[in-house]
Amino acid sequence: MTIAPILRSLLARHKTAGSLVIVEIALTCAIVANAVFLIGERLQRIQTDSGVAERELSRVQLAGVGNQDDPHGQTREDLAALRAIPGVDSVTITNQVPFGSSSWNSSLHLDPDQSEPAAHAALYLGDADFLDTVGLRLVAGRDFRDGEFLDYHPEEGWQQMLEVDTVIITRALAERLFPGDSAVGEVLYFGEETPVRVVGVIEGLMRPTGDSADAPGHHSVLLPVRTPYTIGGSYVLRTAPSDRERVLGDATEALSRPGASRVVLEQETFEELRAEFFHADRAMGWLLLIVCGALLIVTALGIVGLASFWVQQRTRQIGVRRALGATRGQIARHFQVENLILTSAGIVLGMGLAYAINAWLMQRYELPRLSWIALPFGAVTLWALGQLSVLGPARRAAAIPPAVATRSV
Amino acid sequence: MLRYYLELALLSLRRSKVLTALMVVAIAFGVGASMTTLTVLHVLSGDPLPEKSSTLYYPQLDPRTEDGFPPGDDPPDQLTRLDAETLLAEGRADRQALMTGGQAAVLPDPEGPGGAIEPFYASVRYTSTDFFPMFDVPFSAGRPWDASEDEAGGRVAVISKELNDKLFAGEDSAGRALRIDDTEFRIVGVLDRWRPAPRFYDLTTSHFTEAEEIYLPYSTSRDLEMTRAGSMDCFDTRPPGQTETDLGAPCTWIQFWVEISSPDDAASYLAFLENYSEEQRQAGRFERPVNVRLPALMDWLEENEVVPSDVQLQTWLALAFFAVCLINTIGLLLAKFLRRAPEIGVRRALGASRRAVFSQCLVESGVIGIAGGCLGLALTLLGLWAVRQQPVEYAELAQLDLAMLIATLVAAIVSSLLAGLLPAWRACQIAPAMQLKSH
Amino acid sequence: MLHMRTISKIYRTELVETHALRELDLHVREGEFVAVTGPSGSGKTTFLNIAGLLEEFTSGEYELDGESVRGLSDDARSRLRNRKIGFIFQSFNLISDLSLFDNVDVPLRYRGMKTAERRRRIGDALERVGLASRMGHYPSELSGGQQQRAAIARALAGSPKLLLADEPTGNLDSQMARGVLELLEELHASGATIVMVTHDPELAARAQRNIHIVDGQATDVEALPRPGHGGLAATPSRI
Repeated sequence: MTIAPILRSLLARHKTAGSLVIVEIALTCAIVANAVFLIGERLQRIQTDSGVAERELSRVQLAGVGNQDDPHGQTREDLAALRAIPGVDSVTITNQVPFGSSSWNSSLHLDPDQSEPAAHAALYLGDADFLDTVGLRLVAGRDFRDGEFLDYHPEEGWQQMLEVDTVIITRALAERLFPGDSAVGEVLYFGEETPVRVVGVIEGLMRPTGDSADAPGHHSVLLPVRTPYTIGGSYVLRTAPSDRERVLGDATEALSRPGASRVVLEQETFEELRAEFFHADRAMGWLLLIVCGALLIVTALGIVGLASFWVQQRTRQIGVRRALGATRGQIARHFQVENLILTSAGIVLGMGLAYAINAWLMQRYELPRLSWIALPFGAVTLWALGQLSVLGPARRAAAIPPAVATRSV
Repeated sequence: MLRYYLELALLSLRRSKVLTALMVVAIAFGVGASMTTLTVLHVLSGDPLPEKSSTLYYPQLDPRTEDGFPPGDDPPDQLTRLDAETLLAEGRADRQALMTGGQAAVLPDPEGPGGAIEPFYASVRYTSTDFFPMFDVPFSAGRPWDASEDEAGGRVAVISKELNDKLFAGEDSAGRALRIDDTEFRIVGVLDRWRPAPRFYDLTTSHFTEAEEIYLPYSTSRDLEMTRAGSMDCFDTRPPGQTETDLGAPCTWIQFWVEISSPDDAASYLAFLENYSEEQRQAGRFERPVNVRLPALMDWLEENEVVPSDVQLQTWLALAFFAVCLINTIGLLLAKFLRRAPEIGVRRALGASRRAVFSQCLVESGVIGIAGGCLGLALTLLGLWAVRQQPVEYAELAQLDLAMLIATLVAAIVSSLLAGLLPAWRACQIAPAMQLKSH
Repeated sequence: MLHMRTISKIYRTELVETHALRELDLHVREGEFVAVTGPSGSGKTTFLNIAGLLEEFTSGEYELDGESVRGLSDDARSRLRNRKIGFIFQSFNLISDLSLFDNVDVPLRYRGMKTAERRRRIGDALERVGLASRMGHYPSELSGGQQQRAAIARALAGSPKLLLADEPTGNLDSQMARGVLELLEELHASGATIVMVTHDPELAARAQRNIHIVDGQATDVEALPRPGHGGLAATPSRI
């Protein structure tokens, strides 16, 4: 079967309906390509590595009612109480956690006179157990030493960071600040004159809120600072995954005991935190998937409808062809090739449209460029869809008996 | 004639049930998806104070140091405490209020009408008295506190309807005592249900959270050093002993709103801000060139891109889906009408004019649109219900109002008529003579 | 009733120009029963389409019931078809989705008649063709002869000035054909003007007058006198 006569008949006799099929396929192709690309983006985001041992971690966040007399003393008591809970491997307190709602950030400078910051990063304040409890892995240098820790006093605020001498930074941040060098031993500034020294580099630790406009997701700095529970931070407990629920219950109870002067704000496992954090991305992913499915179904049904119409319209013509010796296969193939031509035209148009839509999305929503992977995916999907949809009508056409030619309608 | 066309349309639709169902469902899904997302978009991009949003402005100053100064940079989103308190004291606008958010522990009275309730944290707004009349905040009992309470740092509170229901079982609690963060406050007013969306007056945190449960004088919150929350940007080092929230601290964390009823006065307020900024610069407090702004409420919302980009993306996606559904409907209608070419030819021979054939086809499309619209409305309600089940702040706002309900039906009918135009035009071009040949 | 003077119809395509009718002159008086005959491709169908206002002509003058139809808009032609012409097709052309009642109703609907009036006319027309008891039936439930009688009822219902029949018995067996022909003769007897296109000489012989179309031109052929209609056979060839 040659393509030329089919193409001629399409152009001559079925311009309107043919163009409709092409436009529909082009739009579907463009939307599906972009949607698949967006789904990929979301999937990637959902799989973001936080850098901590999520499966084994839970957190409890407390707030004091009224002014607390000795927040640091109370915090030490809490830590001891939590450590005593059976099944708890270790406990730490930190100002913030990955996937949490609040985050502490600072700009970093390599030179105190530099006005443009070299990077922005999240600041994790942790006690001596922080690194081991949350499961961070040192890739260079060392952990903090006992003498390096200091207590955080909220009333002094940010100013106190200046007294810190040592920090540990993530590998992503190290590569940004000191490309090609081992960062250990290097010096950086929190926009002030007093330098801090990098003593260690960890594999990775996500900023609480992930990627943002001014910093990638893994730009984090650890400071050897013990925070009291009153500043909105969390106790983080490490347990076997199976013990998490029970330990959380015990921990909440233990922390509530000292009387009515404190309130538990949050208590959850890190898996719950992660699920909540990525909820919008997951919902968007599902939504895109459902819309893609619905689009493909609508398009397929549209093709079935128009192809059936063409078969009916050409019943006599098909009868004549059959009378002249066309086999069933040849008749069916006629419709399949016709569909292939229309789908291909739609796909070519759709690819261009896909890039146009993507360009617009890039400009408007700061999305990355459509990866070319989405294109063959879209093309193959639509070719398959087209062939599948035309199968029924083509078979019906093939079933038309040659006797139709001699019958008057 | 319309009745005849309707009869014919129903007959024709009944004759090809599958094709009809297909078109109705396609339109319904297109309309349902579009109207669900458009309703959400409509709700989220709405004017929170339609009556007076044009008279509300959000002054911005740039108190930052020369350090890292890129020309053309926007001023910070908030004011320093010193600037906010100065602008409040100057009182150059018709109304003005400074404010910041926070959290405070509420210690309910175990003997109270709400029964024994465990202490809990409530959201608090520390502000000044003009907040209430300026934003048309509705009261169900009592009144705002007086300006004198602002000056004296009075231990007075206004609480939300929800908190009043929880603590006092909905009774008029004005005049009652309430312990907040270990201090006893006197309730002077209870709000009626108030749900500004977005929560326009403070865009530094989530845009669509509920308004606060407790409102306290800002001056009182400073006296008691109550916990504040929200974003804070410190742009310079502080002298030893100074905290971030101290009066002179180089930190921006206060929102400041003014109400100015005439645009001329707005221009002079802007001039006043410029003047103030220049004075501060000459005094050495501000280092950068004068960079003041006075956006009106709606401009401020737009600048802050209040509508989540995912919601916008979903709307575009739904509209694109709708477009495909419509093109699909055009194709199916074309097939349906042209399949009936013999019948149309006979009708033409029997005296039906082109317009009669065109109208008959359009009526048929319209009937599909009405059916699609009804089903689409059901799907929109279902879609909005699904949105409300999502753990997003704006979930409860996803409600269909009358305007959107009518828009849904109109969208379905108009779009089906549009989809019917081309097929109907093609159908009425069918020549009567063609179909009269015996084969 | 029907006056065609020097009617020409030329079909043009990119490649050829076909002269379907060449300056055809043809006249039918009120109350006449005329058969139009001719070989295949002679222009019979084109004549019928033009006579029925289904197609426009290229040049000439056509007057129907005293009204010139030259250059009329599509709407006006539709109205004329609806009011003045009743069609009887070879393949009946009943609308299969509609009952007999609704089929006969079609032209009346386009005339915008009141419901009661339509009911009365439909009843009368179906009565006249002997199908009053079948008005709720669908075309597929009837024999060919019944279908053609229903089509005639549809043509009659609007009381047209002119009945145009295109091979009305072409798709029927001889017994049914006879029934339909008798019905046409009855209609003629009661005063209807009928123009019937046919290639069947036997059928043509039943008409009052025969017009023969060859190569797009008409010639009058005197019909053989028939019993019962002898007096009318002596119609002059030109009016």
